[in-house]
Amino acid sequence: MIPIHWFLELAAVLFVVGSLGVILRRNALIMLMGIELQLNAANLTLVAFSRAYHDAHAQAFAFIVIAVAAAEAAVGLAILVGIFRNRRSVNVDELTIMKH
Amino acid sequence: MLWQSVQPMGRVTAQLATGDQGMQWSGPQIWWWIIAVFTVGGAISTVTRRNNIAAVMSLVATFFGLAAMYAMLSAHFLAALQVLVYAGAIMTLFVFVIMVLNRDEAEPWAWSGIFTKIVGVFALVYLVTKVGYHLFGVAAAHPETPPAEFGTVAQVGEVLFTDYLFVFEAVSVLLLIAVVAAVVVARQRGGGGTDDDDASADITTTPAVGHSTGHEDHHS
Amino acid sequence: MAEFPLHLIPILPFIGAAIALLIGRRLGKNVITLLCCGSVAAAFIVSVKGFLVLHHDLPPTGALVGRFFEAPWIKAGDLNISAGLAMDHLSAILCLVVTGIGFLIHVYSTAYMEHDENYTRFFAFLNLFTGSMLILVLGDSLPVTFVGWEGVGLCSYLLIGFWLDKDANALAGRKAFVVNRIGDFGFLLAMFLIYSRTGTLKYTELAGHIDQLSAHIWFGLPVAYFVGLLVLVGATGKSAQIPLYIWLPDAMAGPTPVSALIHAATMVTAGVYVVARLHFVFEAAPVTLAVVAVVGAITALFAATIGIAQRDMKKVLAYSTVSQLGFMFVGVGTYLNNTHTANYQAGIFHLVTHAFFKACLFLGAGSVMHGLNGEGDIMRMGGLRKWMPHTRWTFLIACLAIAGIFPLSGFWSKDAILGGVWHASWLTSGPPTNFLEKMAFAKDGDQFVIHLGHFLYPVLLLAAGCTAFYMFRLYWLAFGGEYRGPAVSSAALAHAVGDAHDTHAAHGHDDHGHDHAPAHESPPAITVVLWILAIGAIVIGFLGIPEVVRPGFDYFGEWLSPVLPPLVADESASEFWMFAAIALAVSGIGIGLAWVLYGHGPAVAVRNFVARAPRLYRLVFNKYYVDEIYDFLVVRPVRFTAFLLWKAFDAFFIDLILVNGVGFLVSGFGKLSKYLQNGDLQRYIVALIVGGAVIVGVGTHYDVWAGAKFETAVAGRDVRVVAHGAGTTAKRLQYRVDWEGDGKFGATQPSPNFKHTYDKPGSHKIAVEAIDPRWGTVSRESRTVKVQ
Repeated sequence: MIPIHWFLELAAVLFVVGSLGVILRRNALIMLMGIELQLNAANLTLVAFSRAYHDAHAQAFAFIVIAVAAAEAAVGLAILVGIFRNRRSVNVDELTIMKH
Repeated sequence: MLWQSVQPMGRVTAQLATGDQGMQWSGPQIWWWIIAVFTVGGAISTVTRRNNIAAVMSLVATFFGLAAMYAMLSAHFLAALQVLVYAGAIMTLFVFVIMVLNRDEAEPWAWSGIFTKIVGVFALVYLVTKVGYHLFGVAAAHPETPPAEFGTVAQVGEVLFTDYLFVFEAVSVLLLIAVVAAVVVARQRGGGGTDDDDASADITTTPAVGHSTGHEDHHS
Repeated sequence: MAEFPLHLIPILPFIGAAIALLIGRRLGKNVITLLCCGSVAAAFIVSVKGFLVLHHDLPPTGALVGRFFEAPWIKAGDLNISAGLAMDHLSAILCLVVTGIGFLIHVYSTAYMEHDENYTRFFAFLNLFTGSMLILVLGDSLPVTFVGWEGVGLCSYLLIGFWLDKDANALAGRKAFVVNRIGDFGFLLAMFLIYSRTGTLKYTELAGHIDQLSAHIWFGLPVAYFVGLLVLVGATGKSAQIPLYIWLPDAMAGPTPVSALIHAATMVTAGVYVVARLHFVFEAAPVTLAVVAVVGAITALFAATIGIAQRDMKKVLAYSTVSQLGFMFVGVGTYLNNTHTANYQAGIFHLVTHAFFKACLFLGAGSVMHGLNGEGDIMRMGGLRKWMPHTRWTFLIACLAIAGIFPLSGFWSKDAILGGVWHASWLTSGPPTNFLEKMAFAKDGDQFVIHLGHFLYPVLLLAAGCTAFYMFRLYWLAFGGEYRGPAVSSAALAHAVGDAHDTHAAHGHDDHGHDHAPAHESPPAITVVLWILAIGAIVIGFLGIPEVVRPGFDYFGEWLSPVLPPLVADESASEFWMFAAIALAVSGIGIGLAWVLYGHGPAVAVRNFVARAPRLYRLVFNKYYVDEIYDFLVVRPVRFTAFLLWKAFDAFFIDLILVNGVGFLVSGFGKLSKYLQNGDLQRYIVALIVGGAVIVGVGTHYDVWAGAKFETAVAGRDVRVVAHGAGTTAKRLQYRVDWEGDGKFGATQPSPNFKHTYDKPGSHKIAVEAIDPRWGTVSRESRTVKVQ
């Protein structure tokens, strides 16, 4: 029997790792991957609670999160391609034209 | 809403204290640890790889680990979906983009504003430990093995197409929009690059034209 | 009271003005001429009709009312002011003067302004003025009059600055406007005061409520005194009396017909009219009438002396106007307390005669300047009688009239004033009733009063002498002797005096100036008007031959009597002739002196005198430096205050603190948030995480859902506490109590019921804490209870 909070804590760790990737990496691609990690961490909690309550609603939520994550990844990657085409770089610390 | 959804956990708070006493790990627990280390290791590898392809592959490993976790939580349908959608579709997308933008990084870490980021890391750690502290010891309301149909396509589908039909449709529209948007954003505007070139050429050449011949101005 | 379409009188010129202003440029000059002159002529005809109705069909005390406007106008609470028009015997005369002379000046202007590019605008303003003046005259209540009062002020401003391409004109217009505003302020205050005391502003009703103005005492004086003095302030502004006369000479910057119509014949007499209109107020406070008379007399002499030394034709006439208005003020201010009558009739009579001869003089001056292509300096004229016979003769007639030569109109009106003021006694002969009267009485009863009248008489006499002198100085310098102006060629004529503005009007005559005469007679539109006015200046006086001279011939006084009771003075025919002889003698001396000094151009003595320019001459020539004194006393302090306000309040407080302060705040925030909005995506995410951490941190410390409330029940020394956990967490809350408020809490328990027995009586502070065991949040509530 696996205690349910183990899954929750695993999700927390994954979330931290994903967040660190988002915060610290220059490469926007890796940032997107970090975001995917965060989303999956959230999904893990949903599935864990779903199991804890024997309630399939949370799984439906997780399903929707996967769909939204797919959309996010598609648009985000498209934006990256667009940015790369203009600036020949996908380093976020160089994408600061809003500042000027 | 959030609060009410959390509140029933209180009822199980007492149970968890007893349920966690013995440090005797059962077989599934050992499997859990193996998969958890695999997953976290994949995640750490994802955010630390200098090579993008390696990062994506680490991420795929993480997703497989997560799929295993879902399976352990009896969410078999989602486990399959995780592999199909994430490891299959989204990661393929990532790989494609990486192929397009294939550049080696000189410096993988964004050092700019590092102090702010350190503050952010501390805040993150605080946030997670604070939430984790309260989550620690949360036990399942129904620790017993769920019914056989739990987590099956039939059950999730039933929920999805009854209670969340509207959300489901909305998400499908969202996906459609995202696809169109991705095409529009990533597309090279019909010879757009050359358009820009023409514009810049105008800017640089017009003054010279203006000086040399007056009648040229009529064209511009 | 009889109804009459009085609204037509002001409306007709207004319509003309509106059409001319709106679509005038498309109509062409002829249409404008026809429209504007025609509308004023129509107004004149309606006025004549009203006059005839008043004369034939109504009892002497009757009046015409125009109900067209008589709708509720200003309605607020108890305040209910209607805009009505009324024509009584006084306003009928003013109406005839305004429309009649106004029409003549319109006709004159068609020739005078013929070549001005802003012909349409000029006539539109002139019509606007006429309409406003008629509103002023015909208003049946003070607010309506005030509308006209402000309207004529506006038109005056517009017309003084008519040639607005020159700064001096615009400045003169502004000066007139600002100085008039001071007077308007007094008028307005008087209006408020009257309304606050009597509750009405209608002239007809006001006369019945006048005792309320006398009954209210302010600072030891009846309110009527304040009303009178405030009205006087308004009148001095509009009628250019000391101390507010300074705008009128500058107003000569306007075109000459404007000077004739507005600044000589009509608008400036509004002050006199209002004083006469509110005569009952002044009679309730006779001392104010004395003030009116004193102000008038001083102004008359003061302006007359300035007029002596002026070199500009229109400036001389301007000071002459100020001086003659002073005469009118003396007229309406003359009061005999033993018969309780005042000499309003003389003031109004002089107003009418003055309108004729001063209009004639101004238009003559305009004709001269027209003929000389804008030359206004009388020292560069001379000998004009050869080239401008009509102008010369009419000017001479008007000069004789203003000098008061028998039997011209000025003689009769001026003598009516002079004779009246000699008899004047403003104060009651009974015991003085207020401190002002006590001061005036000194110790000798009403003796002081007699002396005051006797003081004013020689002052006026001197002013009359000065008037005769400077008018004939003007006449001979312009028309007598030989031409002293620059040698003339038609080319020089066209451009030599280009800086004088009347050249606008004169340019058109260049092409027939080839005879090399320095001047030429004006076209018929001008000379005919001049002759009409000159004839008027001769004959109009015969309407007011005093009773003592020839009973039954004082048509004017008889006409006015229902509105303005005549002065009842104990004056015999011989006395009248004595006064007349004295006045004639003084005028004669003035004219003689003018002949000696200027009869053939400026005499050598004069040239030497002017060349040496003694202090007295310079003083007078510079108009007693009044403008400079005002500049020093009023303008500079105001400017300094304004400067301080500008620097301290506007520049520092508003601009720096408020405006720039806000800007600084915004830019400061911007500079600060610049570091936040630095375009670095990752820092935004950090901010997101920090925000989440703060929310979780704060949220777990302060449970916003939990609130511990408790109730206490005291029985002897037993105190029961029932705590109520609030919010969604209430079910799991646990409680503990601190019974002494010393921080020592009892045991934590899930039950909200507590009981405690105190050892000693007195006040005890009870604190109750509700604890959420899951989140560790605590909320505390404390209260003091008293036990026996």
